[in-house]
Amino acid sequence: MSKPRTNEAWIEELKSPGDLQDAAIEDLRAILVRAAAYTFGRNLGDLETFSPEHVQQLAEDCAQEALLAILNNLAKFRGESKFTTWAYKFAINISLTTARRERWKGVSLDLLEEQSTQDGWLSEYLPMADPEGAAIRKEVRQIITETIQNELTDKQRLVLKLMVFDETPMDVVVEYLNTNRNAVYKLLHDARTKLKLSLQSHGIGAAETIDLFGAQG
Amino acid sequence: MDETKFTQWINKILTTEEDEISCSDCFDRVSEYVETEAAGAEMDDALQQVKQHIHQCQVCFDEYELLRDLIQVEDGHDLLFDK
Repeated sequence: MSKPRTNEAWIEELKSPGDLQDAAIEDLRAILVRAAAYTFGRNLGDLETFSPEHVQQLAEDCAQEALLAILNNLAKFRGESKFTTWAYKFAINISLTTARRERWKGVSLDLLEEQSTQDGWLSEYLPMADPEGAAIRKEVRQIITETIQNELTDKQRLVLKLMVFDETPMDVVVEYLNTNRNAVYKLLHDARTKLKLSLQSHGIGAAETIDLFGAQG
Repeated sequence: MDETKFTQWINKILTTEEDEISCSDCFDRVSEYVETEAAGAEMDDALQQVKQHIHQCQVCFDEYELLRDLIQVEDGHDLLFDK
């Protein structure tokens, strides 16, 4: 059992070379292993081919990576939360990224990308139009299709296809495109903005859509 | 994509804000966000932006959800490391 520490004690001891630092690092490593194991426990489907021993080893590897990230970022801790809550997020971030990439290791994103250049790919992904459904539902599908085909850039269309329609995790897309989360998020944000403006230019706002989709969805 | 997911996605499109914080900014503030939320305390503008981001960003939402649940588990098992 690790000893309780205040935020200030964590920072001070992690920065002080010697026995205090060694003990603080060991305590921190232990809680990071638990955070990583918790993350894997909640996402076992991502690691279904792994033995329990392999999962534990992966948790320890991720905890070690998180520990290094934390020590490199200590100056950024401003005390706006408990130190341990702040530290957990590094372990969760690294573990979840690792788990998602393991799950998608055998999937060819090249193939998914190639599909996005073919005519009519989108119609295979959108839900079938209900002949009896409200006219606005058909209109929304039409606007979405036209905007994706005609107004998005190639990069925006690709990221949208991979993440929204193929449900590829962000970190897998980040690795595939050799970029970072912020850049991918911006592509998605810009795509959403164009789609929103298109819908709004046809008089479709949140209230109408919730009524007409939510009621029947 | 089934009808339910399509509806959820359309609603995400329609709730897009002109300015949304990045994943890095969300990561910087998410620990404060989960503790503020757990305490039922009022959120300032910066934390409202975290809320908007995790509504739109699946991976940041997944990390937020794990962090939120983990601190509850740790508290529940009396494994407090901060006093």
